[in-house]
Amino acid sequence: MKNPLLARAFALTCVLLTAFWSTPSSAAPIVVGGKNFTEQQLMTEITTQLLEAKGFEIVKKDGMGSAVLRQAQENGQIDLYWEYTGTSLITYNKVSERFSPEDTYRKVKELDAAKGLVWLNPSRANNTYSLAMNADEANKQGIVSISDLAQAIRSGKALRFACNSEFYARPDGLRPLEKSYGFDFARAKLKRMDTGLTYQALKDRQVDIALVFATDGRVPAFNFVILKDDKGFFPAYALTPVVRKVVLDANPSLAPILNALSEKLDAPTMARLNASVDVSRKSLREVARDFLKQSGLIG
Amino acid sequence: MKLAQYSWRPCLATALAVCTPAHAAGRDIVDGLMQFRSDIAYQSIQLMTMVAIAGALAIVAAVPLGICMSRPAQRRAAVIMQVLNVGQAIPKLALLALAMSVLGIGTVPAIFGLWVATLLPIAQNTYEGLRAVPRALIEAATGMGMTPLQILWRVELPNALYVIFAGIRTALAITVGTAPLAFLIGGGGLGELIFTGIDLNDFTMLLAGAIPIALLAILTDAVLGLVQRKLVSRGVTPCDGKN
Repeated sequence: MKNPLLARAFALTCVLLTAFWSTPSSAAPIVVGGKNFTEQQLMTEITTQLLEAKGFEIVKKDGMGSAVLRQAQENGQIDLYWEYTGTSLITYNKVSERFSPEDTYRKVKELDAAKGLVWLNPSRANNTYSLAMNADEANKQGIVSISDLAQAIRSGKALRFACNSEFYARPDGLRPLEKSYGFDFARAKLKRMDTGLTYQALKDRQVDIALVFATDGRVPAFNFVILKDDKGFFPAYALTPVVRKVVLDANPSLAPILNALSEKLDAPTMARLNASVDVSRKSLREVARDFLKQSGLIG
Repeated sequence: MKLAQYSWRPCLATALAVCTPAHAAGRDIVDGLMQFRSDIAYQSIQLMTMVAIAGALAIVAAVPLGICMSRPAQRRAAVIMQVLNVGQAIPKLALLALAMSVLGIGTVPAIFGLWVATLLPIAQNTYEGLRAVPRALIEAATGMGMTPLQILWRVELPNALYVIFAGIRTALAITVGTAPLAFLIGGGGLGELIFTGIDLNDFTMLLAGAIPIALLAILTDAVLGLVQRKLVSRGVTPCDGKN
């Protein structure tokens, strides 16, 4: 470096960068992540508002795909988000055995601890994957369970199915489900689309069956019936806050706050909150604030 | 700064270091891509069908529109042009979302959205191409006693065809690149592999969608280039090397 100006600029940059990186970690903002569907966007917003009210500095990053979000948390780019026990068990930890809800939680808590992730207390909201049909249509076809559906497809009924991109390729998704129940959607009958659209597609009768989430408010609002998972293919998907251990150690007050929130959540509550966003078209911000006030979590 | 003189050495070393494992990994990637071949074939056909329908409809609608705008009697050209420019500025994703809110979910709104996106560059190029025809040619044709319609068919369009074709080629290649977004509104196509790849952080699956799309866009442009060579008269093709 012969140019003195350049050398000085370089030195200054180094000093600034060092100063920037060496700020104490306790002052670092907490990064709250979330996936790309309503319930997750809602949980991200609720968590952000709650923690901000408790004096934390929060950076919100929502709308990610499951695997990307999990990868980001393992890499330390995301500090906390709400994960489902079944997703971690089957998709991230590649466990193919089926457990009871309690054992599923215990198993993922143990497996993820090795990766520096802490599972706090699970909520009572089990947001399992479900297949849904319009109630009148299901009645007419006499389909109550996924076994009935498999039977109908095997007997040659050309039923159309809508699901999101993720479900199609997950290890707890469509292909293993088809295998377990012994049926096959024809390629042309399989409509893949953005997550939230499957409900609209089913409501508008553009498909006959749609992938839905059990706690989604649109299931009762649009008069859908959920097909019974009579072979118990889907595990429990208890909505649970998962935090990086490093962050939890640096912020010990985080666990009780999130556990108190988790305590307030069950399936009807989640369905009601989701419905106020998807059916009543209220803003995430408003729904989150009202919920936090009503449940007494913030004053 | 003398640095530049020596910088090729580390560059070469880096390139070698990157390429050697990349070559070995190349075979893995090809194997990985092969497992998606039935998906790739199915979705490519879905995607190209959408592009073909949207593209054909766009040509049918946009070329006459461009001709209309270029007629001297048509004083609203500037207004239409502004509308087209605004249309161009709308993100393609927003265009698809708007189509969905009107036409519902599936292939039809996807084709409609792609149609609008393809319409604009073709109409613009038709207009500009016709305007760029030398005045002298038109005056000569008028002097020969041709009617305006004859002038359009025999003088203006042949001379503008090169520019119009450039518009069609660009528009369709871009449409192929836009078509994966159709997945988001249930239109199918190679977007299925790309978006599933993103959601599941599966790089091979993402490539299995992205590489065919790039190839299809290049192929579309090449095929249209061949058609162009057949259709556009040699005499009016600018800079063909022998001018």
